[in-house]
Amino acid sequence: MKLHRSLTAGLVALTLAMPAHTAWSQDAEPVVIASSEDVISLDPHMLDSNNPTGSVIWSVFDSLVRRAPDGTSVPRLATEWERVDDVTWRFKLREGVTFSNGEPFNAAAVQVNFARMNTAPFNSVQQLHDQTGLTEVRIIDDYTIELVTEKPTVNMLYWLAEAFIAAPDYITNTAPDVVASAPVGSGPYVLGEWNRGDSLTLVANDAYWGGAPAVKTVTFRAIPEVSSRLNELRAGTVDLVVGITPDSAEQANSDVSDLVRIEGLRKMHMGISIKGEQPALADVRVRQALNHAVDVPTIVASLMGGSTSPLVSIVNPPNNNPDLTPFAYDPEKAKALLAEAGFPDGFPLTLQWSTRFDGGKEVSEVVGAYLEQVGIQPTYEAVEIGQFRAGLSSASLKGIYFQGWAALINPSVELVILTCGHVDNSSGYCNPEYDKLVIEASQTLDDQARQKLEFAAQEIIWNDAPWLYLWRLPSFFGISKELSYEFRADNYLEPYLITYK
Amino acid sequence: MPLFLFKRFLQALLVLIGVSFSTFIVAHMTGDPVELMARENATLEDKQALREFLGLDRPLAEQYLSFVGKALQGDLGYSFVQQAPVTQLIAERLPATLLLAAAGFVLALLISVPLGIIIALKRNTVWDVVVTALAMIGQAAPGFWIGLMLVVLFAVELKLLPVSGYGGPLYLVLPAITLALQSAARLTRLVRASMLEVLNADYIRTARSKGLRERTILFIHAFRGAMIPVVTMAGLELAELVSGAFITETIFAWPGVGRLAVNAVYQRDFPLIQGVVLMAAAFFVIINFLVDVLYVVIDPRVKLK
Repeated sequence: MKLHRSLTAGLVALTLAMPAHTAWSQDAEPVVIASSEDVISLDPHMLDSNNPTGSVIWSVFDSLVRRAPDGTSVPRLATEWERVDDVTWRFKLREGVTFSNGEPFNAAAVQVNFARMNTAPFNSVQQLHDQTGLTEVRIIDDYTIELVTEKPTVNMLYWLAEAFIAAPDYITNTAPDVVASAPVGSGPYVLGEWNRGDSLTLVANDAYWGGAPAVKTVTFRAIPEVSSRLNELRAGTVDLVVGITPDSAEQANSDVSDLVRIEGLRKMHMGISIKGEQPALADVRVRQALNHAVDVPTIVASLMGGSTSPLVSIVNPPNNNPDLTPFAYDPEKAKALLAEAGFPDGFPLTLQWSTRFDGGKEVSEVVGAYLEQVGIQPTYEAVEIGQFRAGLSSASLKGIYFQGWAALINPSVELVILTCGHVDNSSGYCNPEYDKLVIEASQTLDDQARQKLEFAAQEIIWNDAPWLYLWRLPSFFGISKELSYEFRADNYLEPYLITYK
Repeated sequence: MPLFLFKRFLQALLVLIGVSFSTFIVAHMTGDPVELMARENATLEDKQALREFLGLDRPLAEQYLSFVGKALQGDLGYSFVQQAPVTQLIAERLPATLLLAAAGFVLALLISVPLGIIIALKRNTVWDVVVTALAMIGQAAPGFWIGLMLVVLFAVELKLLPVSGYGGPLYLVLPAITLALQSAARLTRLVRASMLEVLNADYIRTARSKGLRERTILFIHAFRGAMIPVVTMAGLELAELVSGAFITETIFAWPGVGRLAVNAVYQRDFPLIQGVVLMAAAFFVIINFLVDVLYVVIDPRVKLK
């Protein structure tokens, strides 16, 4: 008893004796960012996730161009560029830039980095060569390079934004695990301290060519549990929270913090497996019937709390074809279409989801309940993420499945995934007429002509309905009232753009 | 004793080989890690190249033997996902786990042993009922709930303690209490039951009839006898804590081995899974051995052969 009593007394004394945190005052204080995941690898050429790993890499390294939040490309290490001919791009490089270890940035550095990206294991993650058909990096002089592609491409700038340039001698002559833990770039920050699985601190690079960032110290913390992240925000010990679930979004509003909602870019849908176990799905009338059977605006208003809006095309604004309209909720029309296709009594249908996106079970069950109203007999199946991904890449999932795709603004990349046999074409859809338009568009360098082709392709795919169209995945962030920052829809954070109010 | 040690060592080796083999098989049965690692739109050739790079295209037997061969030299391989040696990743996380485990364990013992003895002595009084009921509630209440409630009270409302993270001693308080409460609830009930059993034993009656002081009976005679099952149970609790308290680590963003292990499973990071499971198994073996040795200390009748 005595022991117990003194223990309690000791604990109380301990708690009371401790001074309050020192992190309350805000002037030029370090900014703490909380995400659900750990920073994984700091090898810029193994980057495969936007936040926090991507945000750190975007901060430590520069790419030739920056992808602005609206999807356009703006100068970064390249100051200007032009197309020399159909397959050649010429870039002027920024002069006087040095990496944090003193190596100079020049055309040779670009060549070394691009070559490394094209070797295993980096080429299983890096997209530059695959997506642009890049075949040659030609050094014209120290600050001019030419990129030569196999065929004309409209996507060069888009993928260059994800091709990061590290100090060339350093990455060539350093062991891979050291490269992955001690990055050397030319970005607005350098790595301070990294306690793997806990926190990573970036320190401002005061010699940054773009000027020293306002926030001198940025700490990324991994806090897996969303309620813990929100508790930190409300307690004032974290300044910026990423990855808030819709049901807990309101908790980000407190006397020290605000909720920020961004309509995301990822297009959520129930993919329709045309070559799966239900042959009825091969009939376009059946796929249209599925789209007419589900009241998406009502689900958005109720299940999603009105936090997003229904899809209007498989291409994100501002590049969507404005003439397309969402399928109207019309169960009678759905039944009529099913009867016309020879399924007046419906058919059994498996609805699958994985842990990749929150709410897969809830969404599938609501969609299933709507489909039941038109005579379809749903069964539900949660699938382990690895199996699910294998099913996606082999277009072999069973019936319809909850999935989101292409969190980007780039019509060419958004459209190409549904061409015949494309590795991301998980529904197994194939329409040669569509393919022809998409491929032609991706090689048409004239903006107006390309848009015309893209609009035509969007119309075909929309009515062929390889997806049961749902909504754009919303993103929720929490931010301290002391800071201002414009969040991006693709979930990358650029701490050098954060300012104090 | 030397014979005992030798036999124990052989047993431990067998356990570790068995564990490594079954972990290897089960991990490979979950599927292909390349499906998770490659970017979403990787081609079949990209994936095959990655498989070759990781050595996953070799026959399973060859992969396993190469793992065992390296493990014997202290090299647990290279994490697929984090691109760092497995031993380094575990070594980075182990201090946090050991600290939390030790704090939680000591706190649990400090709560449960005195409390268990007291309510055993005051059995069937209101104290007994209240503490037993609390212990049952403590055992039934989910750890994550207790943890979150503690955070809301002490960190968000009162702002006395940090919400989560790993740093100075203050960061340890809430996770250690969360862990300790669950352990303490189980152990308190065990101490009580075990004390009651011993207190009713013949030798205690003999001691009483010899006219010994109650304190002597309690601490010299009864306590030792009652501790055998408690030591067994406490050993298991400790081994579990050391192998990582995933839920508590998640709520408090504690960078321990539990989160490392669970993430490795999600990402099918085979070398890391094998490394973490082997480490946990090794701790179980070591702690079981220590428990056996403790038996001898507590009860001289026990001989180690």
